[in-house]
Amino acid sequence: MKFLLPILTGLVLLAIWWIAYEAGAFPTGTVPSPPAVAAAFGEEIASGRLLDDTIASLYRVAWGFITAVLAGVPLGLVIGRSIATREALLPWVNFFRSLSPIAWIPFGIIWFGVGDPPAIFIIFLATFFQIVLATAAASATVPKVFYRVALDMSLTPAQVLFHITLPAIMPQLVTALRVAIGVAWMVVVAAEMIAVRSGLGFLIIDARNGLRMDLVVCGMITIGAIGIGLDIAFSRLAKIPSVRWGFER
Amino acid sequence: MSEPILKLEAVGFDYGRLTVIDGLDLRVDRGELVVCVGPSGCGKSTLLALLGGHIEPTRGKIERKGQSRTIYQDGGLFPWLTVRQNIDRGLPRGTEPAARSKKVDEWLEITRLAEFANHYTHQLSGGMRQRVELARALAAETDILLLDEPFSALDYQTRTRMRKELVATLAERPRTVVFVTHDIEEAVQLGDRVLVLGSRPANVRRVLELPPGRIRPPAAAGVAEAEQAIMEELGLS
Repeated sequence: MKFLLPILTGLVLLAIWWIAYEAGAFPTGTVPSPPAVAAAFGEEIASGRLLDDTIASLYRVAWGFITAVLAGVPLGLVIGRSIATREALLPWVNFFRSLSPIAWIPFGIIWFGVGDPPAIFIIFLATFFQIVLATAAASATVPKVFYRVALDMSLTPAQVLFHITLPAIMPQLVTALRVAIGVAWMVVVAAEMIAVRSGLGFLIIDARNGLRMDLVVCGMITIGAIGIGLDIAFSRLAKIPSVRWGFER
Repeated sequence: MSEPILKLEAVGFDYGRLTVIDGLDLRVDRGELVVCVGPSGCGKSTLLALLGGHIEPTRGKIERKGQSRTIYQDGGLFPWLTVRQNIDRGLPRGTEPAARSKKVDEWLEITRLAEFANHYTHQLSGGMRQRVELARALAAETDILLLDEPFSALDYQTRTRMRKELVATLAERPRTVVFVTHDIEEAVQLGDRVLVLGSRPANVRRVLELPPGRIRPPAAAGVAEAEQAIMEELGLS
């Protein structure tokens, strides 16, 4: 049932699309037919372009996301654990978080030129502030009693970080990372519409320029499917025994 | 005369402008089980935090000879670790892996938790969690054990059983214990001495010496009188 229901829903949606197309519900050239999209998939897979574009997009998301985690988690920990740092930085983290990553595109191109770096930069910005905020909120709410126990155990600051704070915030962090990877995947499409000539975002913008709506839908379906795959992969983190406690209590 | 392991002289503690403890003198001898009772919010937990060295006094002096471990009412266990790992984490640093494993097994046996060794703490009942707390604190082999209303969240039956388990465990592995509670019955059942604390700012209003023996049944000599004296001191009768 877990897989059957979503597959059935997808088939129903496909049937509605197909019937509407055959009934002439869409003006010519605005929506492709399902067979045309299937043919476009065949064409893109056979030529190897779909795989190349997927790898290019995943590469940019991986770099942008991993650098955001590596920078965002430590900064979030500092903000969460130090009142002075929190007061000094939190309003600015919120300020930058409110800015759409798209607004940074002109700076991305001026600072990093064309190619992967501006796209990675945009993905970094889209996820970094979210991760900082989530980590700060999680670490600020770690029960004090854990730190008192750590004091009794004479743990060093590094041991407190690795044995108390990080495991204590892990369930909330995993949820935040799951949301952030979804945002990163959404933003990569926008980032690839500028300054690069590969990736699923580029595939869509290039297909639009050539009025190939079948290829546009092919790109959209691939993005959605990979988005689901990434979400499933990150939701598996919540099943790790040392993380699961946060979701079972 | 016995050796004092904890000694407080004119200790005071302020949270900002609020004086929580003021002019508190206390001496706890090695091996004693001292129970502190007092009204809610009188500063009992603050007193334990001072005794444990978690906070520094605003005034006065605290002498502590040896290490301490604190057992909390709830939530002191690390939920991301199993029962076995929690007890292991409590062992002194530098203990060899083989010795660690043996010690953990020993404490799992003593606290009858062996079959739950690989369970996470949220998979246990309240009484079992308190037994893990007890095992983790006692496995550390510190000189002093501080208990902050450890059984107050448990139902009556479990609480009664846990008191017996605490006493049995202490008989096997003696420690100096300071036990904070608001339960008068618990205080007179367990304590060698009961300190009645006054409302905030906390100070010792009365000290009751109880006849030897843990756990004292309600009919034991001096128990009813001690209960009555505490209730009078707390304005409950």
